[in-house]
Amino acid sequence: MSMTAQAPAPGDQPILFVRDVHKHFGGIQAAAGVDLEVGRGEIAGLIGPNGSGKSTLFNLVAGMETPDRGQILFDGHEIGGKKAYRIARLGLARTFQIPALFENMTVSGNLLAAAAEGHWHGAQQRADETLALLHLEPVANNRASDLSGGQQKLLEFGRVIMRQASLILLDEVTAGVHPNIRKIILEAIARLREQGTSFFVIEHDMEMVRNVCDRIIVMDSGRVVTSGAFEDIVQNSEVMQTYLGRPQ
Amino acid sequence: MAQTMKNRWAGLLLLVVILVVLALLPVLVNNYWLRIATGALMWAGLACSWNMLGGYAGYINFGHSAFFGIGAYATAILMGAEFAVPFLATIPIGTIVTALFAVVIGAPTLRLRGAYFAIATWAFAEVLMQFATVVDFTGGTGGIGLPPFLNERFFYFAMFAAAVLTYFLTWLLFERSRFGLKVKALRDHEPAAEAMGINTSLVKLQTFVLSAVVASVFGSIFAYWVTFINPKSVFGGDITDQMVVMVLLGGLGSLWGPAIGGVALFFVNRLIWMYYGDTAFYIAILGAAIILVVLFLPNGIAGLFARRSGKSGSVLDTVLGRLLGSRQGGRS
Ligand SMILES: Nc1ncnc2c1ncn2[C@@H]1O[C@H](COP(=O)(O)OP(=O)(O)O)[C@@H](O)[C@H]1O
Ligand SMILES: [Mg+2]
Repeated sequence: MSMTAQAPAPGDQPILFVRDVHKHFGGIQAAAGVDLEVGRGEIAGLIGPNGSGKSTLFNLVAGMETPDRGQILFDGHEIGGKKAYRIARLGLARTFQIPALFENMTVSGNLLAAAAEGHWHGAQQRADETLALLHLEPVANNRASDLSGGQQKLLEFGRVIMRQASLILLDEVTAGVHPNIRKIILEAIARLREQGTSFFVIEHDMEMVRNVCDRIIVMDSGRVVTSGAFEDIVQNSEVMQTYLGRPQ
Repeated sequence: MAQTMKNRWAGLLLLVVILVVLALLPVLVNNYWLRIATGALMWAGLACSWNMLGGYAGYINFGHSAFFGIGAYATAILMGAEFAVPFLATIPIGTIVTALFAVVIGAPTLRLRGAYFAIATWAFAEVLMQFATVVDFTGGTGGIGLPPFLNERFFYFAMFAAAVLTYFLTWLLFERSRFGLKVKALRDHEPAAEAMGINTSLVKLQTFVLSAVVASVFGSIFAYWVTFINPKSVFGGDITDQMVVMVLLGGLGSLWGPAIGGVALFFVNRLIWMYYGDTAFYIAILGAAIILVVLFLPNGIAGLFARRSGKSGSVLDTVLGRLLGSRQGGRS
């Protein structure tokens, strides 16, 4: 195969480059040859029906799962099958679909723990800024498990901010949250993007997808079926019906 | 905020008072009570060492007596006629042997789910006890004597210094540093900790080795103090059992919980011994303490003093959840 020959030159290299990635769980082919790219500074949206393999793709990219085969390049580094903590240290951060907070630690403790490996200098100040940005100051000293569902999502996002990552993977970070909290998250994404952070977001809410994503990637049955601008994808009613179910 | 500052000063004052009283204790009480205080300090330190891994990292070690025993035997063997090593020099040797064993046991088992680690450590302590029983250089079942040094004050101050150092180290490493943040993060959610760049296998191993080494130091002092040890007296499962109950009663994962639980239970042990001449009743009390904690006091006695904004969950919930496999323990 001429995969490496097709890989872009370092200068305009995408931040994330995925080729022919496969992963099965027993008889289920959760990733069946995924091909996609996320550009530098881009906010790419990942949509598709439940069970189409979106979270699995995130797990493969972030090192929580090992691909059966295929190539994953992050910032030019081959990361397929590498340990999660090594990938994180290269500058990739992720949120979990189900909040995975450090439940017995305080809200500030969660933020500081996220910065404990690398980027420690000035962590306390950045934690304070993050608390302010996410409106979490009043609960800074509460245990994480005392937070409301929406606040837990905010803290999940706050930890990722503390990583000072170059690529952030967000797995349904606004799912089921109050509009006020969604607004806070959108503002924070905008702020990070100004600083050049790239995003790859799994999102079900079409309003959210339209507002924040530069480009949409549609997955079904472990494959990328199409990608393009939001309007193009939405106007293609066949894609909408097949892959997104009812029109929203 | 002002309230917090006030409490902080009150806490610091209490700590200073306790330290001054402990430093003066040898002139305040007779040798009988000094021996009891020496034992109380030892148990406070041992409980703290167990809590490093059990409370801060969330990995239950059911064979911690193994490291207490290695330290005790290292000192006993090295101080014997054959080697005649001075007492203080036996301590670092004991800790090196302990650290090697901890790495060999911990590196493979700390990767597994918590329950496997608990079983592996328990088996390790049992094997060491059997080993010490059958080989010659440990004196076998008969045990091994040490050159007697009948100076109660020396042993009191040795345990006092070791305990102060243990608590200072715990405060510094687990409550005041990045290392502690990493340890607590992996206790609460291992895959999330990895996603934050934390090498959880390494941090767990470092914590395990540290907790083992501390137990080994207390084992060394203990052996010299009591002048005679046998496999049961330093490797026995009841030694680990007591540490576990002391930590649970005092407060799992808290700095002062193990001191509170350790001192309280050791005094109960001695009182029962004084009045009944045996400690069977003490075992019943240990059992009752566990039930009390699990049902009503998940944060232990220390938890009664902590002002908490809510009451959702506890370190005990997290650790039991991992041990029983109902929560994220290994990979996501
Ligand atoms: N760890 C796993 N073990 C077994 N099956 C899994 C695992 N993770 C995902 N799957 C399966 O892989 C498919 C894709 O799941 P997932 O990636 O979670 O989809 P999505 O996030 O798009 O809803 C589903 O059929 C799911 O049941
Ligand atoms: Mg999903």
